[in-house]
Amino acid sequence: MSRYYEFFCPVKVIAGEAALEHLPYELTSIASVRPMIVTDAGVRAAGLLEPVIAACTESDVTFAAIYDEVPPDSSTTTVREIANLYRQQQCDAIIAIGGGSSIDTAKAVNILVSEGGDDIAAYSGAGVLTRPLRPFFVVPTTAGTGSEVTSVAVIADTERSVKLPFTSSFLLPNAAIIDPRMTLTLPPHITAATAMDALTHATEAYTCLARNPLSDAYATAAIKKIGRSLLAVMDNPDDVQGRLDLAEASTMAGIAFSNSMVGLVHSLGHATGAICHLPHGLCMSLYLPYVLEYNLEDIREPLSELLLYLEGPEVWAATPASRRAETTISAVRHLRDELHHRCELPRTLRETGKVKQSQLDNIARQALDDGSIIYNPREASLKDVRSLLEKAWG
Amino acid sequence: MLDSFSRSAARRARRQYVGLMFRFMGHALEAISRFDKTVIDEARGMPDGLVFQMTVLPSGPALAIEHTGDGVLRYLGSRYDGPVDLSIRFKHLAHAFLVLSFQEKTVEAFANDRMVVDGDIALAVRMTRILNRLEAIILPRLIARRAIKEYPAELGLLEKLPGAIGVYRRVAFSMIRDLRKEALSQ
Ligand SMILES: [Zn+2]
Repeated sequence: MSRYYEFFCPVKVIAGEAALEHLPYELTSIASVRPMIVTDAGVRAAGLLEPVIAACTESDVTFAAIYDEVPPDSSTTTVREIANLYRQQQCDAIIAIGGGSSIDTAKAVNILVSEGGDDIAAYSGAGVLTRPLRPFFVVPTTAGTGSEVTSVAVIADTERSVKLPFTSSFLLPNAAIIDPRMTLTLPPHITAATAMDALTHATEAYTCLARNPLSDAYATAAIKKIGRSLLAVMDNPDDVQGRLDLAEASTMAGIAFSNSMVGLVHSLGHATGAICHLPHGLCMSLYLPYVLEYNLEDIREPLSELLLYLEGPEVWAATPASRRAETTISAVRHLRDELHHRCELPRTLRETGKVKQSQLDNIARQALDDGSIIYNPREASLKDVRSLLEKAWG
Repeated sequence: MLDSFSRSAARRARRQYVGLMFRFMGHALEAISRFDKTVIDEARGMPDGLVFQMTVLPSGPALAIEHTGDGVLRYLGSRYDGPVDLSIRFKHLAHAFLVLSFQEKTVEAFANDRMVVDGDIALAVRMTRILNRLEAIILPRLIARRAIKEYPAELGLLEKLPGAIGVYRRVAFSMIRDLRKEALSQ
């Protein structure tokens, strides 16, 4: 546990029933009259724009521009295009509606329209921004990434084929609007994978080197909600309270990990995502139990504590203290089995059908250079990572 | 009066210590990249000509090294002011002192937000591994355990001792040469 820590989350959270209807008030209260929506075709096709637009028009707030073509892997070209639209239409606020890609894109657009210019790459890195950006709101439509409360964005520079990272607390939105209506129609396998991402955020935040008492509180609260509601939502997708639980858990896990970082599960997940093009949430689900096993002796105490939140007081009390850490790992495995049973979410690299054994060396090497590995409690060597991948292969 | 005098003397000593440690690390990195296979392999993964700087905000002390290619590192001195590709900046001298006096591990300093990284994170991670390896080799095991996450299991005395002696000898030579040059130029 750190002897020193920092904790920061200035994002107003607007959550629960009829949360969307608070958006027009938020916009008027900062005198925005020409807001812009940034979203993707999937969100539009799922009919998720309607409730937002309806809520705003009813309060006489109209949108000056709607961009609904954010691709799954957003690029500098998209960012430039949207920034131009914002300027043409003289917009004065940005509302991102969607998952990680739309939110990251909107963050980058906000840099360009606030700081000027066309070259988003010039603002890449840490601490480049020195002043607040334009008003920015996020309405998440997945429950997993936590991007609505993180101060990072990653945008692909397709011309130079590199990924540009942006880190600044000025990227944080003014508010995140969490409305269960926005995740109600999320298909089962995405519900499962994104919830496993949130579970991983919370678990790594709670067990890695930069943990602190404030992020611990968010992490445990997130795990409790996921433990209680994930399978319930899988069985009954229209469970509004369960959907809200997962969305809130995702935001809380986001607050936790943006303050105490993540570890080896994410290092492996980032590498696998880049090399095999698997969705991030699925990668998290694939690696979580194996990494917990690998870290076990260094995280026995916090992992034992997590059993209480994941499985509830009865299971916790019935498990001898010396077995609680192992039982937490079994609970995660059990959860993965249940998800596999309900929506065929793969549990091993082999089950994905998209990873070749010949790619494992490459994944291991790339994982070793991932920034999150710094915060992993154990110093993972190439050999460690390689044998972990062998186990995760299945 | 005496109290404030000794406090400022302590602060001056701390600054000198950090400066000296940076200088030592610069020479040691140069030396170790000539014979330690682990460091050479790690350094090979960095672009040729990459300049890495570790510094203390707002104005030093600092340490700059260059990867001249093929895993070889070159110490650029404490006053390097050319372009930098990757930098790790301590927010305060006190934080640099905590790390360089082995009271806080480098990874702890990362976790505790003691420093700001600018540049490719993958290279910063690689550089951290090189610094860890350096500490594992040159520091007595007891102190090294306080400085790094996990002491490398395969690093026995047989590998460590000649390595450490090699580094210390080369560092001693080049530091004396440096100090002499500085004395002459003043
Ligand atoms: Zn994640």
